[in-house]
Amino acid sequence: MSDPEYSELVIEHFERPRRVGTLAPAADVVIGRAGRRDQGAEFALAARIVDDRIADTRFEAYGCPHCVAAGSWLAEALVGADRDRLQRWSWRELADALEVPTAKRGRLLILEDAVRALAEDWRRRF
Amino acid sequence: MSSPCIYLDYAATTPIDPRVAERMIDCLRPTGAHGNPSSLSHDFGRKARALCEQARTQVAAAIGARPDSIVWTSGATESDNLAIFGVAQFQADRGRHIVSSKVEHKAVLDALKQLERMGFAVTYLKPATNGIIDAEQVAEALRPDTQLVSLMHVNNETGVITDVGAIGRLCRERGIAFHVDAAQSIGKLPIDVESMNIDLLSLTAHKAYGPKGVGALYVRKKPPLGLRPMLYGGGQEGGLRSGTLPTHQVVGMGEAFAIATAEREADVARLASLRQRLWQGIHALGAVELNGDPERRVANILNVSFRGVEGESLQFALRDLAVSAGSACSSGSDEGSYVLRALGRDDQLAQSSLRFSLGRFSTDADIDAAIAAVAREVRRLREISKFERL
Repeated sequence: MSDPEYSELVIEHFERPRRVGTLAPAADVVIGRAGRRDQGAEFALAARIVDDRIADTRFEAYGCPHCVAAGSWLAEALVGADRDRLQRWSWRELADALEVPTAKRGRLLILEDAVRALAEDWRRRF
Repeated sequence: MSSPCIYLDYAATTPIDPRVAERMIDCLRPTGAHGNPSSLSHDFGRKARALCEQARTQVAAAIGARPDSIVWTSGATESDNLAIFGVAQFQADRGRHIVSSKVEHKAVLDALKQLERMGFAVTYLKPATNGIIDAEQVAEALRPDTQLVSLMHVNNETGVITDVGAIGRLCRERGIAFHVDAAQSIGKLPIDVESMNIDLLSLTAHKAYGPKGVGALYVRKKPPLGLRPMLYGGGQEGGLRSGTLPTHQVVGMGEAFAIATAEREADVARLASLRQRLWQGIHALGAVELNGDPERRVANILNVSFRGVEGESLQFALRDLAVSAGSACSSGSDEGSYVLRALGRDDQLAQSSLRFSLGRFSTDADIDAAIAAVAREVRRLREISKFERL
């Protein structure tokens, strides 16, 4: 079934999300969370930091198919990133890659908040 | 997802029963009934008229009414509008207060909102958490200037049943017109407009295995209830609804209602068993809530909310399952169902609801496939949104 509301990439990540879950608490693991269920979207990101770069990630997401796909896409995209890239990361990168419609872009800002929280945890812990 | 789509959206609309389609096609053939049912000066017209009148008798019989109390319309939306605007405006001198509820179909709610803009006052009753509006609530809401009570027989989202007999009695005692939207009732519940003291009853064909685009409004004849028409023209339907009757549509509705009435008890028993099978399968998932009273409900509707699952994702994940999220008429909206909110459901539960509605052609295999798909996707989405570190 083709659905104009969701791009092929959104459908692909929604149906086969990568890196679902979390990482066990450890000295080299940082986390970032944002959103609330009653706002329609909630994200949690976990990253393992090795040699000042993200070596492993996991995500959890509550929200529409765009949110789930965004979490999955981002969890893959962040592997290899340094803290500077995390701090500069913008929701627009995701919106363009996943062709997220304007009405749904507000939810990506919540994911951006989770990325900022991840960067902040990284800064605090390392 | 390559599995064939399973249709469990009978409360939105039903497929046409092949027996109904046959009758309609007969009308459409060159040898059928193309005459204008109002042209009684020749055989073509008289034949079409006879078919329309036979259908009128079939529809009347389904609700215990006299045939001459049936007015053909284009569907329940038109019937609701004709009933509400028709009575409200005709009886405006008598009073300008109307009692209805927050869980009515939009065809009623939006008509009432328009009347409010025209200076009428409307009391919208809030149902109990089981979705039911009871007669005591209606009695308390009545005022000296109340001229109309409009309530649905069966809620289209939850399937709960209003005790229209009790409400009809108290309206009749006070001389207040009582309108019932019975779009979801035919073939599921017995209706007798006489013993239930119903003055106006909205009906539609396409929720009872008949065609879309045709409906009817029952209008009490004894004593006659005054109604102002909405369409003016050739004066058909006793002047209440001008326009040439669509013979094949009307014949389809008559046949559909005759079948629905004759087969109601067998259909209901089978559907109740299928719905129970579906509920047991879904309930086993855990953290699911049945919306609406567990007992006072029609056999074919099951409305369930899933804790911890976002509604749009659930609906998209289950797109090979033809079900409704909230009501079909408002499922384009991002918000939770206004009906479930009125029942006191929180945003998450109102938004993560699915309405499964079963029908004449539903099978055990459909139900089992639906259970398997729902279980798979609910578990998958819950896994993604577990937030284990909480």
